[in-house]
Amino acid sequence: MSHMKELTKGLFKENPTFIIMLGMCPTLSVSTQVSNALGMGAAVIFVLTCSNIFISLLRKIIPDSIRIPSYIVIIASFVTVVEMVMHAFVPAIYEALGVYLPLIVVNCIILGRAEAFAGKNGVLDSALDGIGMGIGFTMSLSFIALIREVLGAGKITLFPVGSFSGTITIPGLSESPIRVVALAAGALLLMGYLKAFFQWKTSRGKKA
Amino acid sequence: MTRYLKTAFILFAISAVCTALCAVVNEVTAPMIAANVEKDRIAALEAVSSGLAIGEEGEGNGSDIVSVIPLSDESGAVSAYILELKTTGYGGEMTVIASYRIDGSLMEAKLTTNSETPGLGKKAEESWYMEMFKGLGGDTPLPLSKSDLSADDSAAVSGASITFGGISSALKNGSDYVKSLGGAV
Repeated sequence: MSHMKELTKGLFKENPTFIIMLGMCPTLSVSTQVSNALGMGAAVIFVLTCSNIFISLLRKIIPDSIRIPSYIVIIASFVTVVEMVMHAFVPAIYEALGVYLPLIVVNCIILGRAEAFAGKNGVLDSALDGIGMGIGFTMSLSFIALIREVLGAGKITLFPVGSFSGTITIPGLSESPIRVVALAAGALLLMGYLKAFFQWKTSRGKKA
Repeated sequence: MTRYLKTAFILFAISAVCTALCAVVNEVTAPMIAANVEKDRIAALEAVSSGLAIGEEGEGNGSDIVSVIPLSDESGAVSAYILELKTTGYGGEMTVIASYRIDGSLMEAKLTTNSETPGLGKKAEESWYMEMFKGLGGDTPLPLSKSDLSADDSAAVSGASITFGGISSALKNGSDYVKSLGGAV
C-alpha cells in the first residue's frame, strides 16, 4: 500500500507544478503546444525515473561531500541519452523542444527528488516516486498547454497518425485567438489562476 | 589522504560509468541523427529550389555563407542560387537555406537547424514567416528591423526580435553575395 502511495502522491497531493511549484521555467516555456508538453513530459519521466533508480542504488556509496556533483553527473548523463534518442527517433519533437531539452539537467524537479527522496530511500520506492512525479509533471504541463493552445491559437497539436494530420482546429477560435495566452505573460497569468484554484481545492479538502 | 582519494575515486567511477552509457547510446544513435540531418537538408534544398535543377555544391565565403549551389533552368543556364547561411538567434547558431534570383531577390527561404524558443523564435520555421521577405533583395531592400515591416508582420514577429534580426541580416548578406557573383557559378 505504501508503494502505491509513492506512485500516486505526485499526481495531485504533491503535484510538482501546482503544489510544490518546481520546474516552472519549462512549464511556462514549453506549454505552447500539447505535443511539446507530451514530448517534454516523456523526457522528464524517463530522466526522473532513471536518475532516481541510479541515485538510490548508489546512495550508500556516494559520500555526502560529493553528493550534489554526483547527482548532477548522473542526471546530465540521462538527459544526454534522452537528447540523443529523441534526435534520432523523434526529430520533430527534438527540434520543437529546442533548448529546453538539455535544460532538463537543471530542472528543479529532478535534482529536488534526488536530494529529497532517492538519496534516502530504496530503489523500488524511488522508481515509483520518479514515475509518479514525472506523470504529475506531464499532466500539469499538458493541461496548461491544452488551455494555452486552445485559447491562444484555436487549435490542438498532437502527433500525426495515419490520415490524421495531428492538428485539431477549433472553429471560431482559430480565426480570432486570444493571442496573449500563447505569450509568456499569458502563461504566467494562467499559472496564477490554476495555482489559486489548486490552493482553494487543497484548503477546502483540509477543512472537510 | 585516503578519504580524499576514496572520494575522488568514487566520483571518477560514477563519471566513467555515465560516460560509457552516453558513448554506447551515441554509437547507436549517431548514424540515425546524421541521416535525419541530411534528409532535412535535402528536403530544404528541394523546397527552396522552386522546381529548378539543383547543381553541384560549392564553398561559400568561408564565414557566414557556408555553401553555394547554382540552380539551372530548362536551357541549362544558371538562373538562381541556393545559399546555406549561418546566423545567430536568441538560442545560438541558426542555419537558413535560401534561394535567390541572379539580381539578389529572394525566391524561397527555410530555417533549418536552430535552438530558438518554442512558441516565439521557433515560429520562424513556419512557412508564413518567410513570406515577408519573398521577392525582396533586388530593387526593393530586405527588411532589417521591425520598423521596416507592415503592422501585421511586425505583430507576427513580436516577442522574437533577435530571431528576426538574425534571419533578416543573413538573408541580406546572402542577397549581397548573390549580387556580387553576377551570374557566375
